[in-house]
Amino acid sequence: MKIVGQGSEQVQEEAESASLCSMFAGEETFGIDTGKIREVLGKRELERVPMAPGFVAGVVPYRGDVLTTVNFRALLGLPGSTEIGCVLVLDDDSGGQERFGLLVDGVGGVVTVRRNALEANPCTLDARCKWLFNGAYKMEGSLLIQLDPQKLLPSRLAESEMFRDNRAGEAL
Amino acid sequence: MERCLTELETRPQDSQQLVAEIFRAVHTIKGTTGFLGFSRLEKLAHAGEHLLGSLRDGRLPVTEELISGLLRLLDGLRAILNLIEATGSEGNRAGDEDSALIAELAKLNGEDAPAHHAEKVAPVVSIKAGEEALPADMPEGGNAATSTQQNSASANGDKTLRIDVEVLNRMMNLVGELVLTRNQMLQSGVESSSFPELARRLDSVTADLRETVMQARMQPVGNLFGKFPRMVRDLARTCGREVRIEFSGQETGLDKSLLEAIKDPLTHAVRNAVDHGIESPADRVLAGKSAEGCLRLRAFHQGGSVVIEVADDGGGIAIERVLAKAVERGLVSPEQAREMTEREALQLIFLPGFSTAAAVTTVSGRGVGMDVVRANVEKVGGSVELESKVGVGTTLRLRVPLTLAIVPALVVRSGGQSFALPQTALVELVYITARDKEKVVERVGASEVYRLRERLLPTVWLDRLLGLNTEAEAHGFYMAVLEAEGCRYGLVVDDLLAPEEIVVKPLSAVLREIGLFSGATVLGNGTLALILDIAATAARAGVKPVMEEQEDETVELRQNGASFLVFEDRARERTALPLGVVERIETVPMSRIEYVGGRALLQYRGELLQLRDDGGVLDEMCGLQDQEATVTVLICGDPQAKSTRMGVVVRKVLDVSDGSMLEQDAAHGETDLALVNERLTTVFRGFAGGAGKSWRDVA
Repeated sequence: MKIVGQGSEQVQEEAESASLCSMFAGEETFGIDTGKIREVLGKRELERVPMAPGFVAGVVPYRGDVLTTVNFRALLGLPGSTEIGCVLVLDDDSGGQERFGLLVDGVGGVVTVRRNALEANPCTLDARCKWLFNGAYKMEGSLLIQLDPQKLLPSRLAESEMFRDNRAGEAL
Repeated sequence: MERCLTELETRPQDSQQLVAEIFRAVHTIKGTTGFLGFSRLEKLAHAGEHLLGSLRDGRLPVTEELISGLLRLLDGLRAILNLIEATGSEGNRAGDEDSALIAELAKLNGEDAPAHHAEKVAPVVSIKAGEEALPADMPEGGNAATSTQQNSASANGDKTLRIDVEVLNRMMNLVGELVLTRNQMLQSGVESSSFPELARRLDSVTADLRETVMQARMQPVGNLFGKFPRMVRDLARTCGREVRIEFSGQETGLDKSLLEAIKDPLTHAVRNAVDHGIESPADRVLAGKSAEGCLRLRAFHQGGSVVIEVADDGGGIAIERVLAKAVERGLVSPEQAREMTEREALQLIFLPGFSTAAAVTTVSGRGVGMDVVRANVEKVGGSVELESKVGVGTTLRLRVPLTLAIVPALVVRSGGQSFALPQTALVELVYITARDKEKVVERVGASEVYRLRERLLPTVWLDRLLGLNTEAEAHGFYMAVLEAEGCRYGLVVDDLLAPEEIVVKPLSAVLREIGLFSGATVLGNGTLALILDIAATAARAGVKPVMEEQEDETVELRQNGASFLVFEDRARERTALPLGVVERIETVPMSRIEYVGGRALLQYRGELLQLRDDGGVLDEMCGLQDQEATVTVLICGDPQAKSTRMGVVVRKVLDVSDGSMLEQDAAHGETDLALVNERLTTVFRGFAGGAGKSWRDVA
């Protein structure tokens, strides 16, 4: 529950703690397991792809590959941002077969949390968010919503009907 | 194993050495496996060795059945070897597999035993019996169990590549060089005076490295041909044909990924040739040909691409039957059919759902045929040609580019985004000024057409098709005339950027699903551009394949006379170049033209071009002392010999027209004249008629 370097000794055992990379989209803070993040590319201009599903922000070159980048704001149903967002490169669990990018408003830092501080999604959450979120960590003053990169895979998003139709940046 | 199989195929020569060699191979397998403790494999190899032994000693005549038996023995051995490769053990866990093995052993022994004692009575019968026992057993036992293994093993094979150590060493050296250059660059910094030199070195190292890697990816076509003798033999037996197969050009190199891509089309073509092409022995003899048909596979380089030819000396394709079938299937109307030329009729074969086979056989004739071949070859940027003469034979030519990874492309802009168009599909470019826009783009119902040399060309607006924000069209626009899979259309884009050699990167599945983009690429300025799939774009825009006759017209035109690019070099004089030799027209700033030893040179796409300036345009421009001045340069090259390009400096490009060469007048031996648009025009020397020859003299 502490920022690394302030009191990591309080987090006793490895198994009980998790380090998350925090990021921002809209008004909320999100976290993804640092082990799943390959690189933070920082602010990048994306090449848009015409006719692509709404959740695709565009493509970005990364180490000789062309990565499909998921627009996280579009997933949340937020309107498109006027500012250039940050791009993270996420790894797929199955040996980097499908590497992809995630576009968020900004990237914070690494946060170490206690696993047992994770609370399940509230039952009032709408279906899309319930599907996207893994639950929330109670932080001092705010909540950190945990995301599962597996569920953000472009191919899985394409399969689930929920994100099919809405065009980029358009709120529901 | 591979080799002894192919060696075995060349059996008709019946030489002792061959049998001895196969014997040695099997013996080696037996010895090695016995040593390694693969008892099952050893037993099988032993049986084979036994049989081969009697064959070697001449106690057994070489019969078709025997060879088939041996081939199956090799299949069995290979299956076990694959199993070992995949699992590390010979997998004697499966009981039914063992029974299959035992059946095979029994069969081989059965074949063997009578051979020892009595050549006079039994052999044929017992061999037959053994053969029947085997196909019954194999599918349920060995094959079923090992087929999955085989699949995984072959998948493994696709991912590995054999490389000459020499090439690998060179690659390593170049990588070392690359690292050194990088270090120097990092140390010297951008401001340093040596930076341009370092950049140049980096450029040359990269070019070398690219070439070496390409070389490493090149595989001889022979690897692909290698599997055909066996296939043709089996096929010929099922179809009751006698076929001899001949190869040439096996050493022709082709990129590995391309080799994979043309494997299926080629297999299909060979199968077609054996089943449909070559007639049965009886028919052949009636037609006055030798009973044995001949199938020729040739591979060779031609103008930057590799051509693979499948030629048979069979019955050829009967045009009447093709037409009748096409009418029957409703592909063309009877009226259309009557008017078709031979060449057009042959093209019908490439339509989906077409098969002329009188009877549907297990081998072919189910109507999934040449259209798939063509689609597969075109997918990798190649083309298919068919030539056929009734009674003489059919030749199918697959033309594929040397490599897939790097393609020349034209980068265009539309709706504020960059797109790459592969040059292979690009026919020509037309610039339309804003003023002319209303005039030249006409409407037929809801669709727009452009009148290009008195033919209507369907027009597709890229920005509208993709739903991009259209910018105010105050300026003119460009139309790229594209052709793919028989569709010809004009694609309207806002602007043209540079032609570039692009490296194709695959897109993720989600983006592939859009179906309009075949990949993406990183441009020289570091931004990304999507590569437009020309055929898919046509389909999305509703462009239908044009009838072939239109193409024929242009071909005819080119044959009767020739198309010329007419320009002005000396004042008031019209000069022409055959259109075929003009690669492109470039506007070059004077500052880019450099002089070495009194000759004008231009660096053009990593190549040094000599400039010819008969009209003295350069001198004139130099006199003007204008830094911004530009000249028009025609980049010319003989299409047959890519390396000898040159630039021609001209005052003004006038027109593209058809014309005919006038007969060379003895008095004007120095100049060739042509009649273009009823006006006398000098044909530029060096490229007239006999093309490259005189240019090489100049060089």
